[in-house]
Amino acid sequence: MAAVAVKESRGDKIFVILNYIYLSIALLIVLYPVLYIISASISDPKYVNSGEMWLLPKGITFEGYVRVFENSKIWSGYGNTILYTTVGTLVNLFVTLPAAYSLSRSDFVGRGFFMGMFMVTMFFGGGLVPGYLLVKNLGMINSMWALILPGAASVWNIIVARTFFQSTIPKELQEAAHIDGCTNMRLFIKIVLPLSAPIIAVMALFYGVGHWNSYFSALIYLNEESKYPLQMILRQILVLQEMSAETTGAAINASVASALNNKADAASLLKYAVIIVSTLPVVAVYPFLQRYFVQGVMIGSVKG
Amino acid sequence: MQKGSNAVMGHKKIWAMLLSMTLLISLLSGCGGSSDKAAENGSTGSEASANLNMEGFPIVKEPITLTMMGQDVGMQNWQDMEFFKQMQEKTGIKFDFRNAPLDSFDTKRNLVFASGDYPDVFFSGQLKAADEVNYGGQGVLIPLEGLIDKYAPNLKKILDEHPDIRKSITTPDGHIYALPNIDLDAGWYRGPLWYNGKFLKALGIDKVPSTTEELYTYLKRVKDEDPNGNGKKDEIPFVSVKLDDVRMWLLGSWGIFNEQIYADREDKVHYTPMEPGYKQYLTFLNRLWNDGLLDKETFSQTDEQKKAKGKNNQVALFADYHAYFTLGGDPSQDDPMYAPVKSEVVGSPVAAKHPGLVRGVFAITNKNKHPEATMRWVDYLYSTEGADLISSGPEGVLWKYTNKADFTKEKLEVPGGKDREEYRATLTPDYGVVLPKVSNEDTKRGFEDDFARWLKKETSEKIDPISKVPFPSVYLSQDEQSEASAKLSDLDTYVKQMEAKFVTGQEPLSNWDKYIETCKKMGGERVAEIYQAAYDRWKQG
Repeated sequence: MAAVAVKESRGDKIFVILNYIYLSIALLIVLYPVLYIISASISDPKYVNSGEMWLLPKGITFEGYVRVFENSKIWSGYGNTILYTTVGTLVNLFVTLPAAYSLSRSDFVGRGFFMGMFMVTMFFGGGLVPGYLLVKNLGMINSMWALILPGAASVWNIIVARTFFQSTIPKELQEAAHIDGCTNMRLFIKIVLPLSAPIIAVMALFYGVGHWNSYFSALIYLNEESKYPLQMILRQILVLQEMSAETTGAAINASVASALNNKADAASLLKYAVIIVSTLPVVAVYPFLQRYFVQGVMIGSVKG
Repeated sequence: MQKGSNAVMGHKKIWAMLLSMTLLISLLSGCGGSSDKAAENGSTGSEASANLNMEGFPIVKEPITLTMMGQDVGMQNWQDMEFFKQMQEKTGIKFDFRNAPLDSFDTKRNLVFASGDYPDVFFSGQLKAADEVNYGGQGVLIPLEGLIDKYAPNLKKILDEHPDIRKSITTPDGHIYALPNIDLDAGWYRGPLWYNGKFLKALGIDKVPSTTEELYTYLKRVKDEDPNGNGKKDEIPFVSVKLDDVRMWLLGSWGIFNEQIYADREDKVHYTPMEPGYKQYLTFLNRLWNDGLLDKETFSQTDEQKKAKGKNNQVALFADYHAYFTLGGDPSQDDPMYAPVKSEVVGSPVAAKHPGLVRGVFAITNKNKHPEATMRWVDYLYSTEGADLISSGPEGVLWKYTNKADFTKEKLEVPGGKDREEYRATLTPDYGVVLPKVSNEDTKRGFEDDFARWLKKETSEKIDPISKVPFPSVYLSQDEQSEASAKLSDLDTYVKQMEAKFVTGQEPLSNWDKYIETCKKMGGERVAEIYQAAYDRWKQG
């Protein structure tokens, strides 16, 4: 870097400075909420609620975390979420990658028709009640498959993966393999997949984060609390806090009122700690997958 | 990402479309057949009732299992609760639970209704009046009045003694489709206003304000004289969250019982936002606002933020269920209850009284093969003994009878020294949700501590003499309901907006006539008419 050949002009310098200023502002904007949540999670809720805690923790307490780690529900939710995310993502990949690869092959008969049929489902849907009935009739109510199978294939993701295969797996590679006597199946498993690590990683991340964050299908299809994923538990904690005795508007008696009040107190303590605990794994995994977004593994795979 | 997850839904959608057609057809045919079904259900008892004991326990000779849907507050799985275990042992009726979390219960319930995949019993989760009328009419919910007469002696006794309750739960077609939570010893409609006792003391005031002028003077003194003694003028005399928590209590000063619809003592129904008294209420609040006596964050803050100010010892007058919820600390008798203050309006002040029932917390569907046994099961909760079981958990855990004859109870030590309420919440579902049961003086006997007695005294001195139920629980016909709902949803938005504008002075009160004109155009008067008609019907029984 020391040997810069061309001297930067005045305009360049201003550009660079402005660039840094702009990036710093952008950084602050994304960093502040993260810092706020971290600080809030170890602050006394009194200061958080009154707005006195706005950046650095105030009245430091780890009570929130203690409560999270004591709460068996959060752990069972954690276990469920990990299970659903792992199994769900595997199923997603198992369905999406072959579908995307077939659709990427120009010699696939009826490609346009199948693609068209896939596309239709992106724009027209049956709605909530028919969806529920379908799942019910398939006998999947209150089982983890209700969260996994109905969304096993995302057309959007299939298109993304198809485009990847189309643009990075050259036709020549396929021809060369065929000349060497390779079957299509073998071609896909032995050649295409190993060359497609980036798209597999991206798909895994897309699907994985989707599963990790989803709560709606759990809400609709699951009946037992022991099966709830983490996001449902989290949501329960957060929403119950809003339902203090005054805001429900319903006529209530003293014990209900104090119950709601206790719940609200506990929730304001737990809230931020739960957010941290539940997002940490995703944040932790991200850097490892993120490199695939920028890495060009295909460089040099075709010679000539 | 968002797009991705939308598309995830995609694959099933073609199937879903086909299914929706099937659904439509089955719905149509379902509607036609449902009334027969309901009629059938009333008489299918023969086989089931052979299994039924008409009196005593167990209720059924051979154990039965039913499905139940209720609101889960996330404290304990219902099948592990002592309440359900003991009830099962006692009655022979077991329940499989299909609960949904409290916050999304309505979504899920609508879904199971719409898909026909509903349980045998709805327990907790207030059915809307419209739902009762609607699903009752379709035969999804079965009529209960016959079952009550035959199988629910405890509930029948209450209904016979309180004809108003029976009137309030009977839908316009003459049937009862859902059972209420009954509180014969109910106090306030919602949390009252409280004075901060420390401020009163600091300012040397021993009698709470009794007129609007005195109230104004007091709040003014709070602002100017630094009653929290920290040398800063950081007191917020009157604090509220969007006025929702205080509106009803203040309106009483100008002779108005409730914030939307109320019947006056002459049985005339009023739509509050168009009343002259409402204008005076706005004028008063506008004055408080201009003089800095009403919290400037009133229209933006959350309940948490309000509580934070209370714990900071900054507020003089506020609403909450108990004063210590906002001010922090232990239950205290030092913070007196607000007595509605008198204005120049004749007959003021007034206050709203709790109607003593919450409707729609228990219903039996046409899938239930044992409606008689189910009715006997729920009837137990309308006896004092059953109410004690569901309210406080089984005897011998958190409490025991000291005199079974008059149901005097005493509290026991909480096992493991845990929080009493949280421990109770693991024993019974009666925590944060409204359940079918009765509360009366017997169910509370022995549990009242000094604080509860003091509360009762404050209420009976300050609120009871001037209070009445603002509007009984009535049913509207489906047409009335849809007209009233449509009008009210527009009106509510407009009225709330204008309330904030009038109070903050963005809209001068000289524009009151224009506001009334708009309300009229939006159907404010018609709403009062609709409710007047329903009220008259209710009145006649």
